[in-house]
Formats: sequence, C-alpha cells, structure tokens
Amino acid sequence: MRFSFMGKHGGSHPEENKSRTSKLPIVDASVPKIMVYPVSMHIGAPAKPIVEVGDKVKAGQVIAEEGGFVSANVYSSVSGEVIAIEKRGKIGGGEVDSIIVKNDYEYTKADPIVEPGRSQDMSKDEIIQTVRKAGIVGMGGATFPTAVKLSPPPGMTIDTLIINGAECEPYSTSDHRVMVEHADEIIHGINLSRALFPQLRRIFIGVEDNKPDAIKALEEASAEYDDIFVRPLKTMYPQGSEKNLIKSMTGREVSPGGLPAEVRCVVANTSTIRSCYRACEFGEPLIERIVSVSGTPIREPKNLRVKIGTPMDSLIEDCGGFAAVPGKVLGGGPMMGKTVSDLGVPIIKGTTAITVLTPEEAEQGDSHDCIMCSECLNVCPVSLQPILISEAFERGNIDKAQELGAMDCIECGNCSFICPSKIPLLENIRSAKAAIKAKEEK
Amino acid sequence: MAQAIDVKGKLQVGPSPHVRSKRTAAWVMDQVLIALIPPTIAATFFFGWWVLGMVAIGIGTAVASEYIYQKLTYKPIKIHDHSAAVTGMLVALSLPVTAPIWMIMFGSIFAIVIVKQLNGGIGRNYFNPAVAARVTIKALFTPWLANWVLPGGLLGSGFRGVDAIGSATPLEFIGNGAQVVPEQVPELFDLFMGFNLGGNVGETSKFAILIGMLYLIFRKVINPKVPILYILTTFVVMALWSSFNWNFEMTHILTGTLFFGATYMATDYSSGSLTPEGKTVFAIGCGLLTAIFRITLDHPGGVGYSILIMNALAPFIDSKLMPRIYGHKRRPQTKFDRQSNNA
Repeated sequence: MRFSFMGKHGGSHPEENKSRTSKLPIVDASVPKIMVYPVSMHIGAPAKPIVEVGDKVKAGQVIAEEGGFVSANVYSSVSGEVIAIEKRGKIGGGEVDSIIVKNDYEYTKADPIVEPGRSQDMSKDEIIQTVRKAGIVGMGGATFPTAVKLSPPPGMTIDTLIINGAECEPYSTSDHRVMVEHADEIIHGINLSRALFPQLRRIFIGVEDNKPDAIKALEEASAEYDDIFVRPLKTMYPQGSEKNLIKSMTGREVSPGGLPAEVRCVVANTSTIRSCYRACEFGEPLIERIVSVSGTPIREPKNLRVKIGTPMDSLIEDCGGFAAVPGKVLGGGPMMGKTVSDLGVPIIKGTTAITVLTPEEAEQGDSHDCIMCSECLNVCPVSLQPILISEAFERGNIDKAQELGAMDCIECGNCSFICPSKIPLLENIRSAKAAIKAKEEK
Repeated sequence: MAQAIDVKGKLQVGPSPHVRSKRTAAWVMDQVLIALIPPTIAATFFFGWWVLGMVAIGIGTAVASEYIYQKLTYKPIKIHDHSAAVTGMLVALSLPVTAPIWMIMFGSIFAIVIVKQLNGGIGRNYFNPAVAARVTIKALFTPWLANWVLPGGLLGSGFRGVDAIGSATPLEFIGNGAQVVPEQVPELFDLFMGFNLGGNVGETSKFAILIGMLYLIFRKVINPKVPILYILTTFVVMALWSSFNWNFEMTHILTGTLFFGATYMATDYSSGSLTPEGKTVFAIGCGLLTAIFRITLDHPGGVGYSILIMNALAPFIDSKLMPRIYGHKRRPQTKFDRQSNNA
C-alpha cells in the first residue's frame, strides 16, 4: 500500500533526474586546503566564535559556541590553523561571519564529545545534551536545532515519531544513499528516541516509492521491532514536507503556525537521526554529511561524504568539473534549493545536494496572463489558491492575501513550477508574507 | 583537475523554484484545437467540405478581431496564446452548415470583442465567449437559421451538402414535457455516431466528441469530472422524469449540444469554477439546468442557457467553496473577485 498525503489534490511530478546518482555508493570527498565555517548554519541565533586568528584547532573541536537556546555549536572538521574570521559569501546570497581554517592534513582529532559506546544507557537529558553539544540541526535543509525539536514544550506528549526519508527534491540522492548504506544507524537513532518519548507508540519511516532499495534496507534493519513501520510514499513533490508527512502518516493536521508536538508528533530527517546516533554512540560532533552532486553540466555526478565547511568548487572538481556551461548552481534541489553566485561558498549542515542546471533548464519563461486553469490549486499541498493570493498582492490588497492564507504557504514552489503562464506565484506569495509580517509588526 | 569552464560572475541567481514545467498556455489551447479535430472531421464527412471553410472563417475572424481590438486599444497583442483560435473554431462548429458567412463572422467578433475582450481579456471573462455568441445568434437571427439541416455530406452532394431541410429537431419531440421517445427520433446508435442527423455541424457525432473528450482528459487539460458529472446529471434527472425509460434518457444525452457543450464549453477555464469543489457544483448545476430547460421549454437551447447561467454563478460558487487550508477549521471567508487585465 502506498501512502499519499492527500486524495484529491496537492502534489506535482517534476522530472526526478535521480538516476545518475541513485545507485552510486557514497565516496569520500577530497578535503581542500582552506575550510570555511559560517557561524550561522542553522535557524536561530548565530554561534559565537571562541577561537582567534592564529589558534591551532583539532578536527572535532568547537570553534564557535551556541549563541542562545535556539542555536548550535560549530565545529572544525579538520585540524589546522585559524587564519581569518571574516565575512564570506553563503548559499542563497549575502555574507555571514565565517571562521577560516587552513587544513594541516594531520587530522589530529579532538576528544569525543561524550564517552563512546554507551548510547544505550543514556538518559533522556544526556541524549538531549549530547545532541545539543554535537551541534546537530535538521539536515534535510531546515537546519532547526535538533535538541530543541527533541524537547517538546512541557505538557505535550509524543506518541509518534516520523522519520523523513521522502527525499522528494529532484536530483537529490543523499538521504537515499544514507538509507541504503546506513539503515542500521538510522534504526539505532530511532531506538534512542524511546528514552526521549516514553509514550511513543509508533515510528513511521516515510520513503518515496522510487527508492525500493532504501525501503528494503530499512525493513530488514527494523525487522525485529514491531512498532517501526516503513511506509512507502507515492513519488510526488512535496511528499517530504513536514506538515504533509504528519497528515499522511497519522491523519493529523498541525494548526497554523503550530508545532508538530501539538499533534503528538516529532519529525526528523534520516540523516539527522543518524547523526544523533553517531553523536551519542561515538561522541562524534556534526562535522560531516552526505551531499549528492548532480545535474546535466556535472561531468561525473557522485554521492560524497563531505566535511562540513568544504567549499563547493572542491566538490564540483571531485565530480570532474563542468562538462557544459552551468546556468544555476544550487545548494539543495531545483524546487527549494538556493542559488550561489560564487563557488567558494561552503557546504553547511543543511546542504543535502549540489544541483547544477544548464541555462536552458533554469529558464523561467516570460510571464503571461493567467488563463484560470486552476493547476496551482491542484498542486498546492496545503490547499491554498496561489493565483488569488498572488493577484491580491499585486493589487496591493494585503488583507485579502492574508485572508486567503498567504501565511500558511510552505514555499514548496509547486505553483510557480506548474503554472503554464509562468506567473511568479511563489515570489508574489513570499512578498505578500513579508508585507503581512511588516504590517503586523507595526 | 582544473575547471575547464570559468563560471565567475556568470551564474544566475534568483528565488526558487528553479525549474518550470514545460506546459505553456499556448500548448494548452493547442490541445483543445487538437481535440476539436475529430468533431471537425466527422462534420466534414457528414456535411461536406464547406465545414472546413466555416472553421477557417471562424478562426480567421476571431484571431483577426482580437488582433485589431488589441491594436486599436494599444494593448499587447496576445493572439499567440491561441485562445482566440479556440473560440473561433468553437463558434464555427456551433452553427449549422447553412449558416451564412456573415453569421459566422458576427459570432466570432461578438465572442472575442464583446464577451472576451470587453470583459477583461483572457482568463477574465465571466461568460464563455463561444456559448454567448451562439445563444445571441440564436436569439437575433433565428429567421436566417435553417436550424435542422439534414446532411448530404461527402457521400451525398459534396461541397455543402444539404439534402433536405427539416422543420423540427429531435429535441422538439423529446423536450417540452415529453416522457417517451416518439418514432420520428433516430435510433440511439445513429444519434451516437451522428448518422443522418442534422443540427450544428460540430455536435452531431457524439463518438467524435468522445474521442476529443478522452484526449483532453488524457492530456490533463480538462478535469474529467466536469463533462462526466454534467452529462450524468442530465441523464439521472431524465431517468427520474421518465420513470427510468432507458431509451428516453439515452436519447436525451445523445441529442443536441450536450456532449459538445459538456466537453468543450463547460470545461472552459475562465468562465468555469476555479476551485475543485466549485467544479463539481458547476457541472452538476449545468446538468440540472439543462434537464429542466429541456423538460419545460418548447424549443432547444438548454445547454447554452445552462452554461451561461452557471458561468454567472461560478464566482459566487467559488467564494463559498474555497478549499479548507491545511490545519484550518474553516474555509477562507473572503469574496472571490478577480482583477481585469484592462485595469
């Protein structure tokens, strides 16, 4: 049985383009001489640098400490010397304070963050503290600090854990390979959560049905647990959106602006739960992640094990460079990924993939009049009427955009993708959201 | 390895999503034009080569009047979206083979200028241009319309085949209070295929229209529930009215403009409902009204009136049936209004 997040509408089918990397085993990326660690690779307060230029650092040493409750530690992923702390470009544009480390290629390791080998015996508080210390954030792209997510507000019980292995973005295969190659670590990570949520009754792992090998690996790894259910999801974008996964797995809907915990759910990405396990079991902070590098201009696409802080150009060289002129280089996939203007920007904790599009593939098309085909309504996963919000915004009617639910938009991009008149629907809705926020802050 | 291609300063930046579906508005309109080919072929077969002339006049006049209107009003020329061509083809196929040339031209100009452009242009017109043109022609020019022309066709007198001019359509025998099918009405199979049937050229062969309908459904250009619910609703009402006389309700759904209107007109984007549930109500409403008009009126035309009335109601229906947003308890409570392209 396949689970889809909705019966009558929602979801689109952009070309998957995963076949070039979906069968390739993960390989180690080369590690360049210069590594770049932004102090803000998560949602929340930036981390505060605790090293100075000239300091020697070890691999796995904290170089910037969390700057608040919603924040995360930043670690050096190599050993070497801090050569600068300065503003550097980031994925999505703009600049962020970054710690630059010159790799000495010694890989001198810092002490593990906790004593290895005792993850089974950890208490709830120990697990949360370890996840927090390890600097783990949502690795599916959202980059929300995981320790905060794993500590629901008092009075809220969690009965369902949902592991998000949908990986609905075209081109991306990093989660896919993690599920195939490290299914056991994902299951170990799930078992840690039993200590966190005593009322836990069911664990669902949602995987799109275009990844039968991942489903099989997870089913085998979880065979001995009768409360872990691997749920094949219909391949449809955006199956992996948190709200929609909760709906398709449990039938529950999170209220506007609410947390999954209010419907007794916690959702975590496959790579995130694996990192939680590795932090608790081996004392490893989050200094590595899997990144798929693909797209037509990439000569030899790969799934790479990447040290966080590695600039993009190093990974693209690992993949043979460009065989054709790239139009857009994205951190993430083509639906929700962010563009980069310079390949020197580093991979951060939430970078699932590098996707490179040719100028033709990235062509947005000229915008024309709406023909009222209603496709944007049909594909919206949260049942908005994107064209009406977009038009209300264009008329300057911000109240109307709000009444039509602009703030409920999850920015999946389906409406802009599907529109035959190439109307920049999501752009307009984003602008409407910004205008609503500005109005409410007055 | 050195990078062979220098990308510095050449990469595009911008907001997501970074890919677009290949479908364009013109492609969508082209699919409708393609779906109108089977009825056109059938019409040519039954009524002669002149049908192609009618279609050419309809399309030519519609496209030309849109071009001239946009030129005269200093608006961007939008004939390349092919929607005017669709309207012109629908107008031509909605007329009998005896329709004079000026009537086809009048219909196309009326549809494009008055119904479409003066109401805001593509995507904004509340009424279906081809339906409005057809109803207007019927109201104004009935004396010039020898409505029920029996075909001569390619096998008969060739170019503009007219063998006989009938005085009444089958609808007049089964409408206006009738509950059984009199003998004068053709067999169901003939009604379905369009054999020996008169009427407006495009709507005679339900078989050909069905091919067009299936094509549009297969191409995901129309929502299948609109034509299906429309026809089914008429069928059910007629079944109740005739106390389940199978022959009566089948004759009804295979007669007149029902198939043609349900496939190509009730599915029109701008004049139909936008919301998923609105589409359901719209289609059922069309079916109910068509059945009621056929039972009560003493002349044909129920499909046209029904679609126009539902066109007028569509914004109201949509405002009441806006989809409930994820996580919300109620539907959005706001008026359904749209801005004109002219504004």
